[in-house]
Amino acid sequence: MQPDEIKDESSGLTLLHPSQIRVLRIRIGLVAAALTLAAFALDIGPLRETILPQFALPGAFLLLGLLATLLYPPRRYRGWGYREGEDEIEIRRGRWLRVRTIVPFGRVQHIDVAQGPIQRPFGLATLILHTAGTHGASVPLPGLLHGEAEVMRDRIRAKIRQDLV
Amino acid sequence: MSEAAFEPRRLHPATLLARWLKILPQMLFAGIGLAAAGRGQGLGEGGGRLLILALVMLVLGGVFAFIYWWRFRYTLGPAEIVIEKGLFQRQRRVIPFDRVQDIAIEQRLLARLFGTAKVRIETGGAAKDEGNLDMIALADAHALRDFIRHGARPATAEAPAAPAQEPVLFAMDLPRLLYSGLFGFSLIFLAAISAAVQQLDQIGIVEWEDWFTTERADQAAHLVTLRLALGLAALVIMLGVIAGVARTVARDFGFRLTRSEAGLRRKRGLFTLSEVVIPIRRTQVALIESGLVTRALGWHRLSFQTLGADKKEGGVQVAAPFARMDEILPILAEAGFPAPPPRAAFRSRPRRALVRRIAPHLMLGLPLTAAAFLFDWRAGIGAAALAMLALAAVLRWRIHGHAEDARALYVTGGLLRRRLRVLPYEKIQTISVSRGPVQRRLRLATLIADTAGASAMQSVQIIDLDATQADAEADRLYAAFIEARGRIRVRASHG
Repeated sequence: MQPDEIKDESSGLTLLHPSQIRVLRIRIGLVAAALTLAAFALDIGPLRETILPQFALPGAFLLLGLLATLLYPPRRYRGWGYREGEDEIEIRRGRWLRVRTIVPFGRVQHIDVAQGPIQRPFGLATLILHTAGTHGASVPLPGLLHGEAEVMRDRIRAKIRQDLV
Repeated sequence: MSEAAFEPRRLHPATLLARWLKILPQMLFAGIGLAAAGRGQGLGEGGGRLLILALVMLVLGGVFAFIYWWRFRYTLGPAEIVIEKGLFQRQRRVIPFDRVQDIAIEQRLLARLFGTAKVRIETGGAAKDEGNLDMIALADAHALRDFIRHGARPATAEAPAAPAQEPVLFAMDLPRLLYSGLFGFSLIFLAAISAAVQQLDQIGIVEWEDWFTTERADQAAHLVTLRLALGLAALVIMLGVIAGVARTVARDFGFRLTRSEAGLRRKRGLFTLSEVVIPIRRTQVALIESGLVTRALGWHRLSFQTLGADKKEGGVQVAAPFARMDEILPILAEAGFPAPPPRAAFRSRPRRALVRRIAPHLMLGLPLTAAAFLFDWRAGIGAAALAMLALAAVLRWRIHGHAEDARALYVTGGLLRRRLRVLPYEKIQTISVSRGPVQRRLRLATLIADTAGASAMQSVQIIDLDATQADAEADRLYAAFIEARGRIRVRASHG
């Protein structure tokens, strides 16, 4: 275990790396920017002749986008957490729909460590556990330091028993 | 299998005829469509041309069938089967025996005339048509299956027991088959008729617009009387019952479930004979279902959700389509599943879960009721429909429940058609507790025990448990899972 891990006092779960907030912020910011641009294009294009005051639509999108980019990432970040046990990992995720999942290591079929373009500059990665199940067949855990994710992957891989009963 | 086992082989020559007959309708439809489009007038003139075109299509179909047969080869190796096919786009597929989950043998009517069968090798992967041998001689099919099952060891020394000698777990005689068909009411023939008309319309033989003109509709309107309508309804119901019986008989004729070495062997079918082995190690969840009427009469259907099962049946294999509970319990026991506890052992949801179920209907229903009195009585129809939905939600809430014992989790659900799922702890994949915003307000949560081989719709879940109880239950399930797995591991290492 790393010494600089942050624990949530109330639940005893390990929180994600704080840089994850910035990753989320960039991701939401990009979506907001794209939507605002699209609204702007509509505003100067097809919707020009309507009763809508000019710049009302893109303005609204810009405002909502800014609010979401500022306020949502920390909340979303606090929704995540995990606890690595002896034979299982417990992952909590979600703010709106909160899901807590227990994945026994014996059920893991294979593990991915994925790193997206936004995660890379922050040195973060996503650990994805794949099981043979269907409802929660792949359980992602984002916001881990890349090195830490690889250590976790190796640790879990050592415990996988390939018996499908 | 003999030395020749490792030589490349072709499919049975009867495949030529089967492929040809399979391609034929498409070719003919394409040909007629082409002719109709080319002349722009449909069938009126140029019948001779049409005949020539049809002949060309017949020959082309034969050529395609031959190419398929000629390019298709399969080779058995000591530990894998290699399937090669295709003329331009060549495909070579290697299936290692230890990846094979299931081998199904199916005989369609034509195949039975030639003594051949289609072998379907399932590996549990996502792709369909993973390893289809369509068709080879029936004897070869059985030999192939035994070879894959038992590896390269000589089959002569200890030939697997013939199906006839295997203990029979469940069988249906003709009276019961016909009786079960009565509950298989099906309006599929209506769909078939409309599909046929549409097809005819598309290729230009029948024009919808010519058939249904306003004059005709007016003429017809005079003819429609109450008696005629009732008569038509009776006819449709009668045809529905007949279609249901026919479908059931065609599917389940000669149903036999026997205990084979590897699992439960199921044979059934009137025209298409199918033989499937449900490997016991691969079964995940047992499902006992019954409809409104059949339940009252004490009949149930047992099926197993299996890993790598037939994709067509959604990962669910029927083990007994129409059986009494005391016939189902021995099958369950044979497959290593515990018997479900009595109804009294099932616990229901907290009463406040009803709020979540009914509130949306009430919120829409009350304004509609008001609108019905104030403005237009027709709004009352909507309100009544919502009231029905709310009632259905209450009934669902009453039926939905769960029970547990030392070996498994049991969950009931459904409304008219009720389902009871038996999930032995050792089959669990992951355990989740999920709560949405409304559930959080009401201190409720949904517990999901994920299993392999199910579709998302069929997963074992307990909806709207008390939130604290759901978390405790998740931890208890996990502990039970670890314990059950431990038992299996100990048994495996001693055995």
